[in-house]
Amino acid sequence: MIVAHLDLDAFFAAVEELERPELRARPLVVGGDPRGRGVVATANYVARRFGIRSAMSCAEALRRCPDAVFVAPRHRIYRAYSETVWRAVREVCPTIEQVGIDEGYLDVGELAGGFARARAVAEAVQAAVRAATSLSCSLGVASCKVVAKVASDRRKPGGLTVVPPGREAEFLAPFDVRLLPGVGPKAEERLAAAGIMTIGALAALHDGELERLLPGKIGALLRDRARGIDLRPLELEAEAVSISTEETFERDVADRERLHDELRRMAQRVAERLAASDQAARTVTTKVRYPDFSIRSRSRTLPVGIDDPDRIGQLACELLDRALDDRPGALRLVGVGVSKLEAYRQLVLG
Amino acid sequence: MNITCSRDDLSQGLQVVGRAVSSRASVQILAGILLRSAGERVELAATDMEMSLRASVPARCSGEGTVVVPGRLLLDIVRLLPPGTITLEHAETDGIVRLAAGSSEYTLHTYSAGDFPRLPEVDRDAVRGVEREAFLETIAKVGRAASRDESRPVLTGILVQIEGSTLVMAATDSYRLSVKETALASDVGSALEAIVPSRALAEVARIAQAGTSEEIEVGVQENQIVFVVDGVIATARRIDGQFPNYKQLRPDAFEAELKLPREEVLDAVRRVSVMAQRNSPLRLRFADGELTLRAQTQDIGEARESLPAAYAGEPLEIGFNPDFLREGLESVADAEVRLRLISPLRPGLISGAGEDFWYLIMPIRLAG
Repeated sequence: MIVAHLDLDAFFAAVEELERPELRARPLVVGGDPRGRGVVATANYVARRFGIRSAMSCAEALRRCPDAVFVAPRHRIYRAYSETVWRAVREVCPTIEQVGIDEGYLDVGELAGGFARARAVAEAVQAAVRAATSLSCSLGVASCKVVAKVASDRRKPGGLTVVPPGREAEFLAPFDVRLLPGVGPKAEERLAAAGIMTIGALAALHDGELERLLPGKIGALLRDRARGIDLRPLELEAEAVSISTEETFERDVADRERLHDELRRMAQRVAERLAASDQAARTVTTKVRYPDFSIRSRSRTLPVGIDDPDRIGQLACELLDRALDDRPGALRLVGVGVSKLEAYRQLVLG
Repeated sequence: MNITCSRDDLSQGLQVVGRAVSSRASVQILAGILLRSAGERVELAATDMEMSLRASVPARCSGEGTVVVPGRLLLDIVRLLPPGTITLEHAETDGIVRLAAGSSEYTLHTYSAGDFPRLPEVDRDAVRGVEREAFLETIAKVGRAASRDESRPVLTGILVQIEGSTLVMAATDSYRLSVKETALASDVGSALEAIVPSRALAEVARIAQAGTSEEIEVGVQENQIVFVVDGVIATARRIDGQFPNYKQLRPDAFEAELKLPREEVLDAVRRVSVMAQRNSPLRLRFADGELTLRAQTQDIGEARESLPAAYAGEPLEIGFNPDFLREGLESVADAEVRLRLISPLRPGLISGAGEDFWYLIMPIRLAG
């Protein structure tokens, strides 16, 4: 297998720069309100020089760079750009697994045959994306997903890193262990406590030690990945399996009416996206996050798919009530999602 | 209080009322079955607040008393005991029932009888008798079209109308509507209209099916609907709200009408539906004297079957939820089923030769 991981560079910020060229030279942060508790979705490379990173609180970003320009995300525009990007990518490399709005895996082996040609294919993809949208992207090419993903992050922006077969473990070894996909904060903490700071150190762990640090399947899985072994194929299900939207509040909200209003508004958005994709959904899910960051969700599956915003909103509100009956309290976040999507629309009497 | 009765009688009675025992764990008393000594009989009762069931079985009772016993537990115990005599002993003060049969002995902790909801007395003047057969036939035709979606309570009920010598029931889940009008042998007197939880109606039908009495007594008392059949009293909370105006939902005119042999179509529908998974539609295509059924599920496969149909109009393709279509066809009693259509996006009507039963079904919009 020869797989490339493609990652659009500072995607949201890059789109904002294209839409408003006057922002290009300035530190730009796409995210929440810096006076509230929004987080940074993306920062452009100028802003990154101030140490601003994704998922940092906007308040912190503002502290680091008081001159930064903060803009709220405009997902509709990003989606349109993203669609153009992936259409362009498909024209070069038709077999892809899109894993997000701004990243995905490409089956390069299908086209290149060998690693010698793989670099040329990856360059062609970069050129196609630039030509279609003026956006830049970084690619990593390797024999498996995990190595390709780490490699794409190696020379951002606009980078291309090819890891030849047989050199995977060697390539990964020096990187910070937290850069290995699958290592979450908990695993990182346990590894750090045992002095395991690099991917190479994780790769070198003996069975006993591994079992002690990361018991169960996860340990073996992560060590395999650290050794550059990752058998996951590309998942080629192109259609979306769910649509969701959520919102973190400026301040925790306990008022039921206000929460219902938010949910109904989100249901409207979800329904619009369903309609745009000409689909109906059989499952509606409401997600809530409490001030202690714990997350709950409640779902309902119907006998037939729906796309009516009022109906989705009503169900979402009922599910919220159920979640709050089980655990009352103010909420930090609510979200609405629909899944079990189907292209068929059961019509309603009347 | 002391009750002696046969295991078979008690088991039968418990099984009848046990269907109203609440499965929700939140209110303990609703998980209980109430037993009350009444001379020659023991009365049994259970309720989940939506419906209640009461029955009585022959017994020898000494002493007055009422006790509420965990329902599932009592049902299981009595079911497992060998045939013979069972005695129940309860002293009001100690909160325990002693049950003995043969060499088996049980002590069961009881619930507080004072907490058991008061069930409505049957007002003999408020009930009227309806022929059992007619009642059962009507429920059987419409029951399945009721909704199970609790977020729209009105649609989880069945509209029951009795007027003069006509019994009408209607049910809809908003995707299909089933209406049955049944002529009764005689005028039942005062009219009645109520939206009854379909679950309660199904219980009444189940009891009536097993029974022998000629009539089911039906009455409305305040917010309850009351049924008496074979000595069993069933009550259900009426569902508030406006039932959809079913007469208005039925289109006045149709573009195409087909008469099809019911069994053959039904068999073909069942066969082809196997390939309509994950809510895929069953496609019906009418063209050139033929009806072609087709179903397709992505990554699973496809099925197709044709049968002759006297159809002469422009080719028409319409998609239905296979279960909804099948249930409609199954509800027709006649050998010939009539299918009336307007367009792929308008409702279709399924009926038999007569107009006493009709089933309106909304299509699934087909892509492309």
